[in-house]
Amino acid sequence: MDTTLTPASPPADPVGPRRVVLGVQEPEDMDLPTDPIPLNMGPSHPAMHGTVRMVLDVEGEKISNVDIQIGYLHRCFEKESEYATYTQIFPYTDRLNYVSPMLNNVGYAMAVEKLLGITDKIPERAQFVRVIVGEMSRMTDHMTCLGAGAMELGAFTVFLYMLKAREWFYEMLEEISGARLTHSYMRIGGLSADLPDGLTDKLLDVIGRTRGVVEECGKLLNRNRIFRDRMDGIGVITKDEAIAWGVTGPVGRSTGLDYDVRKDHPYLVYDRFDFDVPVGSVGDNFDRYMCRVEEIAQSMRIIEQAIAKMPAGPVMVDDPRLRLPSKTETYNSIEAMIAHFKVIMDGIHVPPGEVYSFTEAGNGELGFYIVSDGTGRPWKCRVRPPCFANVAILPKVLPGLFIADIVPTFGMINMIGGECDR
Amino acid sequence: MSETIDGQKTTLTMVTGAPVPAPVEPSYATGAAPVAQAGAELVTVTIDGKPMQVPKGTILLEACNQAGAEVPFFCYHPGLSSPAVCRQCLVDVKGQPKPVPSCYTPVADKMEVTTASPRVLDIRRQMLEFTLLNHPIDCPICDKAGECTLQKQYFDWDAKYARNDGIKVHKAKHVDIGKHIVLDQERCILCTRCIRVCDEVAKQPELTMAMRGDHEVLTTAPGRRLDNPYSLNTVDVCPVGALTSKDFRFTMRAWELQSTPSICPGCATGCNIEVHTSREQIQRLVPRENPYVNQHWMCDEGRFTYKRIYQDRLATPLSGGETAEWDRALDDAAKLLRAAVDQGAGKIGVVFSAQSTNEDLYALSRLAFDSLGVTRAYVAGLDQGWSDNILVSADKNPNTAGAIAIGGGRLKSLMDLANDVKSGAITTLLVVGEEGVLGDGGTSALPISKLQALIVLGWRRGPLVTAAHVAMPLSDWAEVDGTFTNRQGTVQRVRAAVPPAGDALPGWEIVTLLAHRLGMPLEFGGRSSAPTARTVFLEAKEKMAFMKNADWGRTSLPIQLRFANSRG
Repeated sequence: MDTTLTPASPPADPVGPRRVVLGVQEPEDMDLPTDPIPLNMGPSHPAMHGTVRMVLDVEGEKISNVDIQIGYLHRCFEKESEYATYTQIFPYTDRLNYVSPMLNNVGYAMAVEKLLGITDKIPERAQFVRVIVGEMSRMTDHMTCLGAGAMELGAFTVFLYMLKAREWFYEMLEEISGARLTHSYMRIGGLSADLPDGLTDKLLDVIGRTRGVVEECGKLLNRNRIFRDRMDGIGVITKDEAIAWGVTGPVGRSTGLDYDVRKDHPYLVYDRFDFDVPVGSVGDNFDRYMCRVEEIAQSMRIIEQAIAKMPAGPVMVDDPRLRLPSKTETYNSIEAMIAHFKVIMDGIHVPPGEVYSFTEAGNGELGFYIVSDGTGRPWKCRVRPPCFANVAILPKVLPGLFIADIVPTFGMINMIGGECDR
Repeated sequence: MSETIDGQKTTLTMVTGAPVPAPVEPSYATGAAPVAQAGAELVTVTIDGKPMQVPKGTILLEACNQAGAEVPFFCYHPGLSSPAVCRQCLVDVKGQPKPVPSCYTPVADKMEVTTASPRVLDIRRQMLEFTLLNHPIDCPICDKAGECTLQKQYFDWDAKYARNDGIKVHKAKHVDIGKHIVLDQERCILCTRCIRVCDEVAKQPELTMAMRGDHEVLTTAPGRRLDNPYSLNTVDVCPVGALTSKDFRFTMRAWELQSTPSICPGCATGCNIEVHTSREQIQRLVPRENPYVNQHWMCDEGRFTYKRIYQDRLATPLSGGETAEWDRALDDAAKLLRAAVDQGAGKIGVVFSAQSTNEDLYALSRLAFDSLGVTRAYVAGLDQGWSDNILVSADKNPNTAGAIAIGGGRLKSLMDLANDVKSGAITTLLVVGEEGVLGDGGTSALPISKLQALIVLGWRRGPLVTAAHVAMPLSDWAEVDGTFTNRQGTVQRVRAAVPPAGDALPGWEIVTLLAHRLGMPLEFGGRSSAPTARTVFLEAKEKMAFMKNADWGRTSLPIQLRFANSRG
């Protein structure tokens, strides 16, 4: 007996018709007279990530006003950075957006390199590796957002599938950097180490499997009535609002704002790859969801091209003032010993000046503004966290929605406390 | 060279008092190359294309530094002569066939200097490579690491990988060269600074170079040791870890130290120092440059004055020999004084200390002379000791000049005190600062048993504190903010570097509390709020002619040395 399952031919439109109804429409007779009551949501609420508190004014189920209180995950990143050498700050950046630490690593390293004036001297292989690990991190970021967002609407299966795929990438990032999450893999001037042997083959294999997972999840969600009811037309942000609020990343692009730092201000070797920037049309939760799904696919395209084109060579600039000498050199020559001592104890000496450098992180434009006084520690290290601007628009978006809409809207904004609160 | 932490040099080095006596002639002529005199003829030099005017005779290296062109050096020291042996400070001078050592060359009119030509940078790098050729790989175990000039200059000017993996020349690793110092001959880069310190500052030529080439070593003459009273200055000037202090070595990493500018309390000279602390403990004292007082140096004895802070400290108030709360001790002391006042203030004696700050002395003078109307006051202090005509003063008290001036001629000697107690002229004695009150004669010198009441504010436990009816703990010099007046009449700031021992309080504060209990509250500068060392100082400055030009300076917190980079 032939038991082979032949997949049904995919529907012409996998997403189905959009049911875009702006705002909440209620029948007149349901509008019962109510008194507004204050309602506290979070920080101890699973959907609030334990890191944000919303004080709502509700009239029945309807939100009339929102006060969003952030800061529960404030760790003095900027002040601590003033007491750490430039290299010691990498572990702190891991804890900014902690679902895509590599992107923070890259963004910070590039800011310091710009101040040092060595952006052009970073070995090409290091730049390719930065792109690969960065895109891996972008995928883990989006998969966390999509999986958790679906779970919060009851789709627990999607959560498990997405996290299964995310775990494949975490395992590979662990193989690369030694840590599943807190990578600290970048260095000023390159990487702490080259990719392990055979990693690219494994990565290509994982990408193939991940495509299947994303497709499967799409089938579970895209035409799912429960999911779509909380996605379509909910939490609409217009393009003008996105520009006015400084909203970037998938949230910004969902509004039709065609802005991606990788395309508009290419850095590293992004200009050598063929990839598309998905842009939404309505600016609702569903657009934000679809932008992320498509960006996962684009990241996989970039990684495949990067692996194909990646040159051999060193992954660190060959400058004793930047590079940490190997232990063999250190224990066998006084020159390397002094250099090791100075780089560790005094830090890399960055010439006096200031710099703003920005990259496309998981949630949008991640900027570092660094002021150097010529010593081994930054005089000021300011972060422009994309989440901060993205969350700032919520008090504009949420009023008029139901309490139940907060969870998917907040989920699709993808606020990461570590980054927003710093 | 021991650089003063940036920003504190200007406000602190010369906190001057009344018409500052012309800087005391440095009693030791340094062999330094000619130093430009004020009012000297000006010459024009062009440094890296930047024309500037400097007095004739200025050392070229100093002129380059003034012009903002950093010229590195190992062997040059502004307080010593220049042998030009390290070849780090070579610069190109137009018209000269070879680079010249800028530490050895006085500026000449119309000189055109390039401090960083490719040739100069190349020579500098090559010299560093030579210097490192036989340098041991000691940074992890070397006390100088973190404040090492060689580390700094390699990183700033060379930063190339080793080209040689041959065997290094080995020399003696730990030579017990003197009472306070251990020598590591391998680390020595042969700059000869230490030799010149002995020759030119201590005037006791004890060190020399022996052998030749890469076997050249620093050493003493056979059978001789590095035992002069200024020997630890060699450790300060050593650009590497060749000479290390036995007291400090292996105790602390330099970059973990915090630095507080202060004044040495060891004698009336008042050498400017940095107090280096870590975990709220003093680790070492090092000299701070002040051209009018101590130039770059201090004596070995002064460096160990910090040990007294940790010896036999009186940490809690005592009443009747028993530990007491501050409240009780103050009440008991006030009761004793009140009883004496009721008998007539003529029976009260007050002992001032030349070890106290001006602020303590001034507050006490307000209480004693203005409030209590005391007529019998005395000054105490440590006995005279040895002296030389370099830095060490025979007067072992840091503030004799301040005590005499604040006493205003009313202070009598300890001999008078003993006689007055013996004769029964005074029956109640208030001592603020117990140091030296009993002298060598111990309790027999001062017939304590004849006193009806003895109140002692003291730093350390001793016979006088034990005998006191009430004793109260004083904060020591490194625990307080205040001023000392040195033998030149210069008023200089001491700063709190460590927290006080136990419950100790500054003298002015205890005196103010005591005055309050006596119903004679003291206000300083007419301020009704709680006094601080600064308000006491400001009033003293108004009232006391010798403090007229003194300046409190700005408030500053200890600076962590790692943020100040290499002291070098």
